Amino acid sequence: MPVTILTWLGIGWIGFLLLPWYGLEDGITRTPLRYYLGDEAGPGLIQAALHAKWWLWPVAAALALPLLALRPNSDHRRAGTILIVVGTAGLAWISLQGFALTHRGWGWSILAEMFGPTTQRQFGMGWGAASVATSLLFLLTTGLARRGAMRGDAFVTGAIGIVVATVALFVFWPVIEVLFEAALTNDGRYGLMPLANRLTTQTIWGLGCFQGQRSCGVFWNSVLLATIVGITTTLLGLAFALLAQRTAFPAKPLLKLVAVLPVITPPFVIGLAIILLFGRNGAVTLFLESAFGIPPTRWIYGLPGLVLVQTLAFAPIAFMVLLGVVQGVSPSMEEAAQTLRASRWRVFTTVTLPLIRPGLANSFLIGFVESLADFGNPLVLAGNFNVLSTQIFFAIVGAQSDPGRAAALSMVLLAVCLAAFFLQNVWLGKRAYTTVSGKGDGGMHAPLPRGARWFIYGTAVPWMAFTLIVYAMIVVGGFVENFGRDNSFTLKHYVVTFGIEWGQHGIVWAGRAWNSLFTTLQLSALAAPLTAAIGLLTAYLLARQTFAGKQAFEFTTMLSFAIPGTVIGVSYIVAFNVPPLELTGTGIILVICFVFRNMPVAIRAGVATLSQIDKSLDECSLMLRHGSFATLRRVVLPLLRPAIVAALVYSFVRAITSVSAVVFLVSAEYNLATAYIVNRVEVSDYGVAIAYSSALVVIMAVGVGLIQLVVGERRLGRRGGASSILREASA
Amino acid sequence: MTIRTIGAVAALVAGTLLGGAAQAQGRLNLYCSVQEDWCQLMQTEFEKATGIRVAMTRKSSGETYAQVKAEKDNPRGDIWWGGTGDPHLQAAEEGLTADYETPRMGEMQDWAVQQWRTGRKRTIGIYAGALGFGFNTELLAKKNLPEPKCWADLVNPAYKGEVQVANPHSSGTSYTMVASLVQIMGENGAFDYLRKLNTNVNQYTKSGAAPIVAAGRGETLIGIVFMHDAITQSVRNFPIKTVAPCEGTGYEIGSMSIIAGARNLDSARKFYDWALSAEAQALGARAQSYQVPSNKGAATPPQAPKLSEIKLINYDFPKFGSSEERKRLLSRFDAEIKIAN
Amino acid sequence: MKISARSADVEFRDVTRRFGNVVAVDSISFTIASGTLVTLLGPSGCGKTTTLRMIAGLEIPSAGTIRIGGRDVTRLPATARDVSMVFQSYALFPHMNVIENVAYGLAVGGGSKAEQRDRARAGLELVGLAGYDARMPSELSGGQQQRVAVARALVLEPSVLLFDEPLSNLDAKLRRRMREEIRDLQQKLGLTAVYVTHDQEEALAVSDVIVVMSQARIAQSGSPAELYDQPATRFVADFIGGANLLPCEVGPHRDGVATCRLGPLAFDLPHRGIAAGGTTLAVRPHAIRLHTHPAADRLPARIRKATYLGSHIEFTLDSDVGELFAIASAGDGMQVSQGASVHASLGPGGLALVRD
Repeated sequence: MPVTILTWLGIGWIGFLLLPWYGLEDGITRTPLRYYLGDEAGPGLIQAALHAKWWLWPVAAALALPLLALRPNSDHRRAGTILIVVGTAGLAWISLQGFALTHRGWGWSILAEMFGPTTQRQFGMGWGAASVATSLLFLLTTGLARRGAMRGDAFVTGAIGIVVATVALFVFWPVIEVLFEAALTNDGRYGLMPLANRLTTQTIWGLGCFQGQRSCGVFWNSVLLATIVGITTTLLGLAFALLAQRTAFPAKPLLKLVAVLPVITPPFVIGLAIILLFGRNGAVTLFLESAFGIPPTRWIYGLPGLVLVQTLAFAPIAFMVLLGVVQGVSPSMEEAAQTLRASRWRVFTTVTLPLIRPGLANSFLIGFVESLADFGNPLVLAGNFNVLSTQIFFAIVGAQSDPGRAAALSMVLLAVCLAAFFLQNVWLGKRAYTTVSGKGDGGMHAPLPRGARWFIYGTAVPWMAFTLIVYAMIVVGGFVENFGRDNSFTLKHYVVTFGIEWGQHGIVWAGRAWNSLFTTLQLSALAAPLTAAIGLLTAYLLARQTFAGKQAFEFTTMLSFAIPGTVIGVSYIVAFNVPPLELTGTGIILVICFVFRNMPVAIRAGVATLSQIDKSLDECSLMLRHGSFATLRRVVLPLLRPAIVAALVYSFVRAITSVSAVVFLVSAEYNLATAYIVNRVEVSDYGVAIAYSSALVVIMAVGVGLIQLVVGERRLGRRGGASSILREASA
Repeated sequence: MTIRTIGAVAALVAGTLLGGAAQAQGRLNLYCSVQEDWCQLMQTEFEKATGIRVAMTRKSSGETYAQVKAEKDNPRGDIWWGGTGDPHLQAAEEGLTADYETPRMGEMQDWAVQQWRTGRKRTIGIYAGALGFGFNTELLAKKNLPEPKCWADLVNPAYKGEVQVANPHSSGTSYTMVASLVQIMGENGAFDYLRKLNTNVNQYTKSGAAPIVAAGRGETLIGIVFMHDAITQSVRNFPIKTVAPCEGTGYEIGSMSIIAGARNLDSARKFYDWALSAEAQALGARAQSYQVPSNKGAATPPQAPKLSEIKLINYDFPKFGSSEERKRLLSRFDAEIKIAN
Repeated sequence: MKISARSADVEFRDVTRRFGNVVAVDSISFTIASGTLVTLLGPSGCGKTTTLRMIAGLEIPSAGTIRIGGRDVTRLPATARDVSMVFQSYALFPHMNVIENVAYGLAVGGGSKAEQRDRARAGLELVGLAGYDARMPSELSGGQQQRVAVARALVLEPSVLLFDEPLSNLDAKLRRRMREEIRDLQQKLGLTAVYVTHDQEEALAVSDVIVVMSQARIAQSGSPAELYDQPATRFVADFIGGANLLPCEVGPHRDGVATCRLGPLAFDLPHRGIAAGGTTLAVRPHAIRLHTHPAADRLPARIRKATYLGSHIEFTLDSDVGELFAIASAGDGMQVSQGASVHASLGPGGLALVRD
């Protein structure tokens, strides 16, 4: 039997024989014998043999069948069929028994009617069940490969299997569960009328703003805001990317810092700084009043403020996406255009810009969706300009808790994202954007046209200055008594937050933030590589493989991104608070939430970069005896470095700064930094909030630096400057 | 990836997922819905007093209500302490919380016991806070406007665009205002008043305390909030003056409930009894929270608004706390006062 | 270190490949003998590249069987087939230098790093690029990149070596030289090679056997001479070498020969299984000779266009049987001007009966 099948079977058997079948509340802390034989912590075999859990025997049968039926020289296709049957049946049985018998007895009332009451109970699945399920999943995908699926490539079928399974489990299922609430009537039944009523209300579609009311329906507000922010972030991101790649701008390191800063800033902080600058009592406002007699107004509360703060917050993501894309544009294509007598401007508009179209489209999509899903900034700055994300939040936690309304609003939000996604696909069409091909490309990038250069300097440099001012204020805010009122220097906020004392037994982490800080760092350090891995794997599948249902699959992966964090948070509780998957209150659920929420950015970055890399490079590597996995590792990943950095940085940072999704998922043991900061902001204890945030910014900056150091730069061997000249001289 | 990296990752995973298990005198999962400092103080003081290990999660009362509801099939929390009374009553109505009668019932103020009766023995009052408003003294002087003293003053055209209040859909504070006004002015009178107030309101905020935070920063002149929230701002050196409206005002009863199906019921009851004691109720002031305690023997903090000096209405909690009445008033509010949505 | 070959034969049996509703390859069967170079030739979209990719394992057939060296590889992934391929775009890894590129495939087979290097160097030497180890692909000319790609495929000593239009990115002169080099290498090492091209001249120059494909099927396969002298169909006759396709009438068969009538002319030609009745006569342009005087076996025609091309002259003629395209050696001394009346004789040689 081949090693792959043996390995997966082995993992399955270890799970069944040795690991606790059910999840344990306290982790593994029992004495070995009790641990092994008990009905709480026992592995599957013990549960079935000693504790009358007979319905676990079919699981053993599923794992035993391949051992009995497969011979070393088994026919390829026959072995495939056996594995497919075993995997499908085993997985189906595990989920069936999990839902049928729960912690409260029968999971479905029909079973109770058929078999009468039961005393048996099942808790959530533990490591044992998880290993067995994983093993069965991969046996199934290996079987499919044996039957010739995906050109017989077991790695590819396995990758599709794991991505589809996890996305279905951690995105699709919870989201569906919560969306069903939109059709829930007051007496707990489902019906179309409540759904129709909730979906057609004036609060969503109203056009009152044209009739002198304060605001239009939330749909119009959200779409307007998201469109503007999508455009502004893309333009700024492009300006930054061109500035970094195509100009002799002297302060590029500063540029990268400024471009990255907003990404690594906890929510609320930017909004707060903006209010301190432009609010009615803000520094700039007061200056304008005293200098020019401009009366202070509340213009910042509403659309203008939101555009400003969201652009500040999301332009860096556009920058990161576009940086790789701009770098990837083949210089010889630009040279080709130049030799065709095209002016610099023509080269830029007819070659460079069209070639980075996937990047532009992706960055617009990200800006658009980010703006739609953003929750922290509208909370602070929206004024009377209501948007979907905050409406959903307050439909759930507000004075009149109405999950049905929240679900309906979520559906609207989803529909908007779906439309944006669809339009993007239409706009990109089927054109080819390959620019990193297998042919060596030794050209030099064309110089930018003067107009474009002025545009870039004209937008990027003032924006940099603006960002720096905002951050200077944030830094200062942590060191003054009461920002804006009492500006005397103090260290007390930092002492309160990060105090360290020497106790009898060594260091005492006396500061109030340490606990949440350690948890936050631990969870995000765990989530980031997982996010990047599964995101880029998905991107690879989307960009390089064809399989049935790919479009639907791609859309599903975008779901968790489009759905506001609050809904995700609640849906996770609804789906994962009860067996068979009982994850609430653990660190796992937070990690899973981070991974599947931030995965879409990794996917977008990966897809955009992959669309520039010639597919024959992968195929060539396959022909050179490297399997898909080795190809991914040795050819695709090195060329994907910009996307890897983007994915890692984004997911690491997002795990640290996200609020809305985790508000419901944090527990006493796993509390997060942002939740703590939000609490401080709520009681207007800005000193500590800002001190903690500044510290987080520094920590994240270090993290981002480390990521860049570890992943490294992409080496394309293009003639760019001194280094390649040296290389030629030495050759 | 090197072996060492894998090892480090494995250690990280193990540390995160397996968790530790400290064994103590028992444990308690506390959902706390007042501000963080107070929550932490309650946690550590209770641990000191009983040796029970407390895992405390702080969330707003709306968030906690949503969480308790979402977790109802498999409750994670044992006790829910703090936060405005309405979501506690709602949880009681839906059977999300459990009956309990404390031996300290005799030490309680009448309004706390009244809350317990309204909530079918499932929730009890732990503090009270009167509704009022606060204004920014510096801004008032700069604009040279008169000090508002009554509800009626707030509709003065001089304050056009200067008043901030929360949206009653999202905030219990604001709903308390609507209900109080209905009880003071009669329903039609109250809605007349709210229509006039609407022209002076610059923003309906999402969260209940946000208007006074904005007033403290000078972003608005007047914020309608619970008086103790306004006092917290003054204590933090913001130029806020707190006003108890001359016509009289309503109030909230901060409450506590044991969650139905609590895993640590004994600990939850111990906490319940302890939290109603005079000593425990004195902790609020230490955390700069100036509500009025529900234990007759607990000292009211000197900064707290003296309930005796405020004209409190006889707030009808059973009526205005019920879901139907709330829904009715809010839909009328939507229909007649076109605020934002 | 020496690069040798472990050649194997390739067999296609009833292989079909569908993409949705489109049939890219329709039930084709052929065999490639060990140590030969076979060209898949045809216009774009004929299925030749799909066929090549099925040998490679980059596509899996929808039906049918593929064997390499007798082993059924139909459903084996590319990595398990012992086949390597030279791509149209070269597919040099841009982030690796020349030696890393060439040694890339060797890393899987085991052997020490030093062995892999030596082997890669031997491969580079074979293609005449010794000493280019440390260059990046971007620092090489097109021809050099092509050689690196060939070396990279060769060092694996594959049982079959595939070429996917390898020369289409090179200029005409370089193309001629590279194809000769590839042919030399293939013969020197005794490789089994499959070569895809749409350039019939290239195919004629390098192949042992040419498989001509059209519309997802094999139109004809055989040695270059067979295809040229005895095209089976109108398509093959036209695609290889070019031909005048004229309607003719075939008489009854006798001893493998049939009489074919074309206007006033009659030829005895091998009938090759073509039934009596109307069919097509393929006439190579150089099989048409022009004369000034009429004769019984000559067709009267009028010159529409004459193009002088140094070594020869190309004529377009109008005749009763249709338009004729003829090539005559310039040395014939015939100086015929446009509009002049001539008399054309056909053959002998350069005539074939073809199926429609």
